[in-house]
Amino acid sequence: MTTAQWARLSSDAFNAALFGYIAAMIVSFAYLAFRKGWLHTAATAIGIGALVANAISIVARGAAAERTPWGNMYEYSALLTFLMVLGYLWIVEARAKVRTVGGFVYGLAVITMAMAVSFFYVGPTALMPALNSYWRQIHVTSMIVASSLLGVGCLFTVVYLLKLSGERRTASRLQTQAPPPIMGGSIASDPSAPPDFAEGADEPVGASAASRRVGLPSSATLDGLAYRFIRFGFPVWTFGVICGAIWAQQTWGRYWGWDPKETWSFITWVVFAGYLHARATAGWRGTRAAVVALIGFVSLLVTYYAVNLWIAGLHSYAK
Amino acid sequence: MSASDGPRSSLSRSVALVWRTLRSMRTALILLLMLAAASVVGSLIPQIPNSPERVAAYELDHATWGSVFRASGFFDVFGSWWFALITALLFVSLVACLLPRSRALIRAARQRPIQARELDGFPSYVRTRVPAGPATVTAEAAKLLRRKRYRVAVQDDVSVAGEKGSLREIGSLAFHWAFLLLLVAIIIGKGTGYVGHATIVEGETWTDAELNYDGDLRTGRFFRGAFSGTGITLVDYEDAYRDTGIPMDFQSRIRLLNPDGSFAREADVRINHPAVFNGIRIYQYGFGWAAVVRVAEGARVLFDGPVVMGQDPLPDQNPLATPWIGVVKLTSLRPQQAIVLELFPDAEAYFRSLQTGVAQPMTEANAPFMRYQVWEGKLLDASRAGLDTRFMRATTSGLIGQGWSVDVDAGCAISGPGDAVPASLEGISCPDGAAPDALTMSFPALRQYSRLQISHDATVPYVLAAAILIVVGLLPALYVSRRKVWVRARPDDTGSIVDIGGFALQRKDRFDEEFATLVDAVVRASGGTVDRDPQEVGSP
Repeated sequence: MTTAQWARLSSDAFNAALFGYIAAMIVSFAYLAFRKGWLHTAATAIGIGALVANAISIVARGAAAERTPWGNMYEYSALLTFLMVLGYLWIVEARAKVRTVGGFVYGLAVITMAMAVSFFYVGPTALMPALNSYWRQIHVTSMIVASSLLGVGCLFTVVYLLKLSGERRTASRLQTQAPPPIMGGSIASDPSAPPDFAEGADEPVGASAASRRVGLPSSATLDGLAYRFIRFGFPVWTFGVICGAIWAQQTWGRYWGWDPKETWSFITWVVFAGYLHARATAGWRGTRAAVVALIGFVSLLVTYYAVNLWIAGLHSYAK
Repeated sequence: MSASDGPRSSLSRSVALVWRTLRSMRTALILLLMLAAASVVGSLIPQIPNSPERVAAYELDHATWGSVFRASGFFDVFGSWWFALITALLFVSLVACLLPRSRALIRAARQRPIQARELDGFPSYVRTRVPAGPATVTAEAAKLLRRKRYRVAVQDDVSVAGEKGSLREIGSLAFHWAFLLLLVAIIIGKGTGYVGHATIVEGETWTDAELNYDGDLRTGRFFRGAFSGTGITLVDYEDAYRDTGIPMDFQSRIRLLNPDGSFAREADVRINHPAVFNGIRIYQYGFGWAAVVRVAEGARVLFDGPVVMGQDPLPDQNPLATPWIGVVKLTSLRPQQAIVLELFPDAEAYFRSLQTGVAQPMTEANAPFMRYQVWEGKLLDASRAGLDTRFMRATTSGLIGQGWSVDVDAGCAISGPGDAVPASLEGISCPDGAAPDALTMSFPALRQYSRLQISHDATVPYVLAAAILIVVGLLPALYVSRRKVWVRARPDDTGSIVDIGGFALQRKDRFDEEFATLVDAVVRASGGTVDRDPQEVGSP
């Protein structure tokens, strides 16, 4: 195939992946709403299909540009969505057996891809010589892997906070309104409850029976998932920042120069370090730690997007 | 006596309070978030070390805020006293937290795991009866635990204590101590180091000394002027471009000279491939053209050498398609004169640009020519690169190609290889040749120069070591789980009654299964049969 054909295949596959993720998101949310098993099967099938299209798009892009396909923001975004969805399908669906949060992950993937197309699209081109270093490969790869993990982790933190406030509201309503279960008013026999609520790890562990009404996993499960992703992402981010410093030492003659991208990757690192410490600190566990993670999420978004779009620096290769 | 005791004890009490506050995780957390917030400020407001020109522009546009920012150090956040203060407090807090933890770790490493008396209070607990005697049970349990990488202590053949996962605390401490190493290494390295840029024309030699830098030399706070004295000769500079004008590579071939001037070795400096020699690192930073020019008044030579030329392209212009500008300053003339040279390295590409209207990159020397403009008056900045024309007036101007000589006063060409002059430039030669005392200029050669970045930072290896330690320590600190298990056996008729208890400090969800497996193994090794009664095995 010629370069132009590869480029064409890459952008077709990119669009297929984008629409696939949109469909997977809608079907996933439908599953959350109606809890029909076939909806989940369909969402997973569409999600895997879109993931394959995403992978094809990345590989074809590499063939078109004749280099590793992570050299600009458009390409980073494609890789980022691929890793987010892959991480979700593998860690959350396959290993933790949590099935109801897929819509949020696909939603994040859709936003990322849409941003890439509307703000960062560039054709497959060669790179500046400063970007020609194997440290760049290691640095960029780890930063994207870390971003996908931290991004998904923070997404679960958002869902966790939503769920937590829901649980608290339900708990206070139960205290005031519901008859005690011993009188026969048990929620478990509530006819309006969906029939298939009692399967898999979506089943809240140790949560009150009232939270079964909502399809989302319990706040404890969500918190655990968020922690799992962030704990995985943080060392990768650390490693990526260090590789970036090594690359900077090689290219610019200084390992650290408070360039905006460097500064923001440092801020993000500091905030997630704060999150990990907060989880180990009495009085900061739970909501407060989650808020720190949300600050980290904002910082991650600024590091990823805003620095390239609005703040000039050595890393300004957005366009 | 009590009067003299009072203030001292209240002082020591407040010192203890400050120390306790600094040690608390909450303080460390708040300091971490303050550090992040300060960095946000540093990334949003232009910073003097990164972009002094943007700081100046900001101060022009916002006079009030500009003076506030300047006074408060917002224009140099990462060098400000309050950023240093937050960092210092964070590190004091870190050390205050690490010292007792490190002491405790060393103490725990020296001690054997401590035996427990009552096991039924632990989250995981089982009591069971086995045929083997207590001594066999404890020996087997110790063997099993060792195989599962527990540290084990056996007491009196009746009690076994096992613990594992101390790597978690070791990793965590290594991770945190590494930051202290990192900070100290950075402060020493930056404090005693320097970084600057050297412009070297092909064939010339540059020496690492303060006055030879381009003017943007930055030295550390504790640097005492000990430049390395290294000599660098630029043998050759090469660049390569794709057809689209995108650069592929820049390369300077240099000869490195010892401070005494003797030849040490050759080196190639490319983007991403610095040369390291004599404590300095040499990076490819920039490049450009240097026209070799000879200016004479009659027989008196006023200037003879390469003129380093720079560019001033507009933001949307391809720098490779714009001319290069340099100035020859003739301070000995009265009135003083300056000749501004505007170089077009590739005449063919330039004329193609004129014909097609599309700017063509001029990457190779191909019949190079220059426009010159003579200024007369008072030179305000004889030693600096640019030209301040406020007290000068423009006089003659003209063209000069490589190999030509021109009469600068008359603005016409005296001699030159005519075939290099494009047809459109004909008719500019002086009709009568040069006057005897005329100001003449010749352009015998065009060379390239390379701009190299020279930096000295002695602690880079230590910074790298600290960074590696950070990553290496972080992994066990996040992923190793600590477990403690106890086994006690006491004689009972023919066999023994065995109590097994334990708990996990991390990943408690996985411990139940680990514990059940362990219990089964101990029972089997003691001659019992595994017949798990859910009321016996459990975690309340």
